[in-house]
Amino acid sequence: MKFSPGFKVAAIIAGSLAVTAASPFFGLSIISPSDIFLPDHPDAEVFWRLRAPRACAAFLAGAGLSLSGMVFQAFFRNPLATPFTLGVSSGASFGASVYFYIGGTLFIRLGGVGPLFASLAGAGLSMSLVWTITRVKGGFSTVIMLLAGVVINFFFSSLVLFVQYLSDSHDSLRIMHWLMGSLAGLETARLADLAFVILAGLVVIRLMASEIDLLTAGEELAASRGVRVGVAKLKIFLAASIMVGSVVSLAGPIGFVGLMVPHACRLTLGWSHRLLIPAVFFAGGCFLVLCDLASRVILAPAEIPIGIVTSMLGGPFFLWTLFRSQKTGDLF
Amino acid sequence: MTGTAEERAGAPGAAAAQGGAAEWAVRGPLPGTPGAAPGSGMMVSVRDFSFSIGPKRILEHVDFAIPQGAYLSILGPNGAGKSTLLKSLLRLHEKGTVEGEVEIGGRSIGLYTQKELARLVSYVPQAGGWIPPFTIGELAKLSRFPYATSVSALTRRDIEAVDAALEKTDLVHMADRPLKTLSGGERQKAFLAAALAQGSPVMLLDEPASFLDPHHTSELERLLISLNRDEGLTMLAVTHDLNHPVKSGGYALVLKRGRTAYFGPVEGLMGGGVLEGAFSHEFTYLRHPVDGRPVILAE
Repeated sequence: MKFSPGFKVAAIIAGSLAVTAASPFFGLSIISPSDIFLPDHPDAEVFWRLRAPRACAAFLAGAGLSLSGMVFQAFFRNPLATPFTLGVSSGASFGASVYFYIGGTLFIRLGGVGPLFASLAGAGLSMSLVWTITRVKGGFSTVIMLLAGVVINFFFSSLVLFVQYLSDSHDSLRIMHWLMGSLAGLETARLADLAFVILAGLVVIRLMASEIDLLTAGEELAASRGVRVGVAKLKIFLAASIMVGSVVSLAGPIGFVGLMVPHACRLTLGWSHRLLIPAVFFAGGCFLVLCDLASRVILAPAEIPIGIVTSMLGGPFFLWTLFRSQKTGDLF
Repeated sequence: MTGTAEERAGAPGAAAAQGGAAEWAVRGPLPGTPGAAPGSGMMVSVRDFSFSIGPKRILEHVDFAIPQGAYLSILGPNGAGKSTLLKSLLRLHEKGTVEGEVEIGGRSIGLYTQKELARLVSYVPQAGGWIPPFTIGELAKLSRFPYATSVSALTRRDIEAVDAALEKTDLVHMADRPLKTLSGGERQKAFLAAALAQGSPVMLLDEPASFLDPHHTSELERLLISLNRDEGLTMLAVTHDLNHPVKSGGYALVLKRGRTAYFGPVEGLMGGGVLEGAFSHEFTYLRHPVDGRPVILAE
């Protein structure tokens, strides 16, 4: 039986929303739906104060990382391009690490938004470096940009280690725990910031769906069809980088989500971004909600950092993608 | 070759010599197209055009002009600047210094927005390059981007343009086939269909038939010539096949080391040392034993 692409997207959206809505009921203990509206019931407290905000945060983070991955892959016409391979995540990690270090030693306090601004600054710095190198060395060459991203990724990863080395044991542990990626201890107040950034990013990317399709078809072809290639690339790259920076600031560098979800959606729906964007947004959100659930229950009552869960799934997936891409000729 | 490009293109001898192309030169603009340049009557006009990247001059003082509905074959040895010239007409170069003037539809291309330029000029890329991960139909639909707003879906007019393009290229039955599953010839037809769906009166083609076998080359050439003659499209095609201009008629531009070695009617290529000078090679000019048209053979 063959389903239409529209039906598949609708099914992905409905399934993702259902899974996300159901996830806060599961965890160390299972909460009955009838208890969540009872005043002063301890399960209602756990549900509304802890699990529901966390499921929302996981959904938004997964959606943002997946959309960014989708955009970078279309942009570079390479299924292995992700916020990590392009250095954006490590730049954001560096920004947050510096904040933790300086905040701990110089008593600089920006409140809860401190890590967000620091990560965005780090993501912006790495993005500017990748952009400048690409522009100086190769016009807007995709290959140069990807190579620059890999180099910048290594550079900022080393700087993160250096900051960690300089930090005292408390800050060093904090940075290390944060680098593993975790949604535990997320402040509810930051959820609104994350929602704003991710939804704004979604709108920008959705409005540019046709440009992204045409860039996937090739820059010359895109320009000949009326796309202002340089401007479109800058807008898309900025939107994706800001989404990654905001997620990294709140949850740490959660790897491979931006690789796995867009790839799985493309296998089902093809490359048309009008269909892919909603599918990737909802499937990405749902995927991280499930990973977060797994991180809470596998070693309960202990909690595995979510970055470890996604990396354990993502490593084999990355290799599978690599071998599959070589067979199908998707890699240049 | 002496005289300005306009004089040469407009010379009575040149118009008569180009055979079929002269007929198109006097046609009115296509419905909904900007039409030919006021005054000059030229659809594409390149005047004293130079392009360089750093100290390297890639094109120097290139001059030519063609009327609406003309077919221009661009010839020259490797590295002569043919593809660069084509890309310059679309402002595809991010880097580089441009001198001189390029006008399409009577206005400098610098005055058009990218979408306005796309409504005027479509482009068929070189065969053998990156294969987009789309179906034939999806690629053709993407070509309607110049007419789209950010949130709009395809309009009825867009769908009609796509359907018409697929029909003209005989690809309706294959619209759902991914480009990656097509043969080289079918894929070039798909790119041609996509360019046609764009609905622009000028079409640029960068070696459209390279890497194709004789059957597919011949099929594609017939299609291009019929689009030029029947639809009145102004075509500029870079080619390495010296017999392509003989079949297409119209004008030929021969480049050598970035300079104009010849511009004029295709018939001017025969003898007179034009090709020999440009390619530093000897050629023999024969008549086809069946239809009598000229045939150029490289020694």
